[in-house]
Amino acid sequence: MNPDVGTIIGLSVQKIASGVNEHGAAFAQGTVGLLSTVLTMAAKEYDRGADIRFAENADMRALFGAIAPAVGDAGLKAKLEAAAKSADANLRISTLNENNYALRRLLTEAMIFVEDHRLRDAERRIWAVLKDAAARRLVQLGP
Amino acid sequence: MNELSDKLQTYLRGKLGEPALVVSGLARIPGGASRETYRFRARTGAHERGLILRRDPEASLIETERSAEYRAYEAFHALGLPVPAPVALELDPAPLERPFFIMEEIENCLTGSILSPDPYGVHRETIGQQFYGVLGKIASVDPRDVGLSDFEGETDIHDVAMHEVARWEKVIDEDEVEPQPIVRAALRWLKHNPPPPAQKIAVVHGDYRTGNFLFDETGKIRAILDWEMAHLGDPLEDLGWAIDPLWAGGNPDFPGGMIARAEAIRAWEKASGLKAEPAALRWWEIFASVKGAAIWISAAREYAQGRNIDPINAFSGWFCLAFHNKVLADRLGEAA
Repeated sequence: MNPDVGTIIGLSVQKIASGVNEHGAAFAQGTVGLLSTVLTMAAKEYDRGADIRFAENADMRALFGAIAPAVGDAGLKAKLEAAAKSADANLRISTLNENNYALRRLLTEAMIFVEDHRLRDAERRIWAVLKDAAARRLVQLGP
Repeated sequence: MNELSDKLQTYLRGKLGEPALVVSGLARIPGGASRETYRFRARTGAHERGLILRRDPEASLIETERSAEYRAYEAFHALGLPVPAPVALELDPAPLERPFFIMEEIENCLTGSILSPDPYGVHRETIGQQFYGVLGKIASVDPRDVGLSDFEGETDIHDVAMHEVARWEKVIDEDEVEPQPIVRAALRWLKHNPPPPAQKIAVVHGDYRTGNFLFDETGKIRAILDWEMAHLGDPLEDLGWAIDPLWAGGNPDFPGGMIARAEAIRAWEKASGLKAEPAALRWWEIFASVKGAAIWISAAREYAQGRNIDPINAFSGWFCLAFHNKVLADRLGEAA
């Protein structure tokens, strides 16, 4: 999720400190409302951020292990097998993000391969993981 | 703010040839992440009117052409559509530090929130018919008849769809902060499954949706706003964008929080004289979510780099991008 929680909190504080009222009441009201919304989202992200990334990374690793046997390209197959055996060293968001970005890049590479080679079962598995990931990352604004 | 007000007054006195004109009540108002928007009063003798100033920000979410936006206001206001009357366009940054334009303020009106499941209440039916009807009328106009045939965009009906795909893929390539497998898959799908040729080339508003128009207490639409992404293209692009589920609290059956989807399409077809062929419209709906994702990716980057710390950009980077990823995954995942 970009921008990250630290950036949002830091820049929100900067916005408040610079005086949201500098442009008049209507603009201040709108800005404060939005600041309230993004800070609420940041609070939720603090609670769920590691869980989302941990689960997504685990799903992608399991996916890679499942589809690697069907991949005919030796180089890509080796990357998928290696990624399937990888792990998150700790639960810091920065660590999880670094691994997540690498896994997502590999996912796109694998997806292009299975699309080009019409590996329908692998494609369906990939979309199942992507649908779960998208649902998990959806932001709920209510309580 | 006083300094800006003084400069604005000096400018308008010269521009309008009204040396006694007095500017008062200048205040910034929310909305329009790509332009700073201000409301003010301009009085000359006994005549006073409300005006809106739209000034380029120091960093813009999407690079847009302000003269195109102004010309769109001119053209469609002249046709009698609910569009504010333009007053002045200034491309020279000297008067107010950055280029800007001024238009009439449409007073005593409301706008609908994209987050509300029912933004129009008892007026949803009447607003829905007008909303899709006005969009159809925009689609029915020949850009050559309103002096907008030089607008940015593809004019070959066979190439217009891929022109727009390339335009937004470039934005994603330039602004992507983290890998986007769903958006990338959607881009590939758009390229591998091209829609039929456009029925015509029209002026596409570019951001026609709930939240970008004003209505009064009787439910009458008084102003279609935010023409900053106007361009030439397939009119189905606007329809696909208008019915995107993001604009209605996520309810695709009542797009925009107004009338039912089928009714909306009928109103658009009747006013435009065009057909919203289901396969073509589906393509433009997928495109709409990709275009949205591109805008939210840009917003996130602008914010993360501190170039534009309006919280709307943080909100877009989180809420809107996650929403469109979900829409794309559901729609394309079904087909896989």
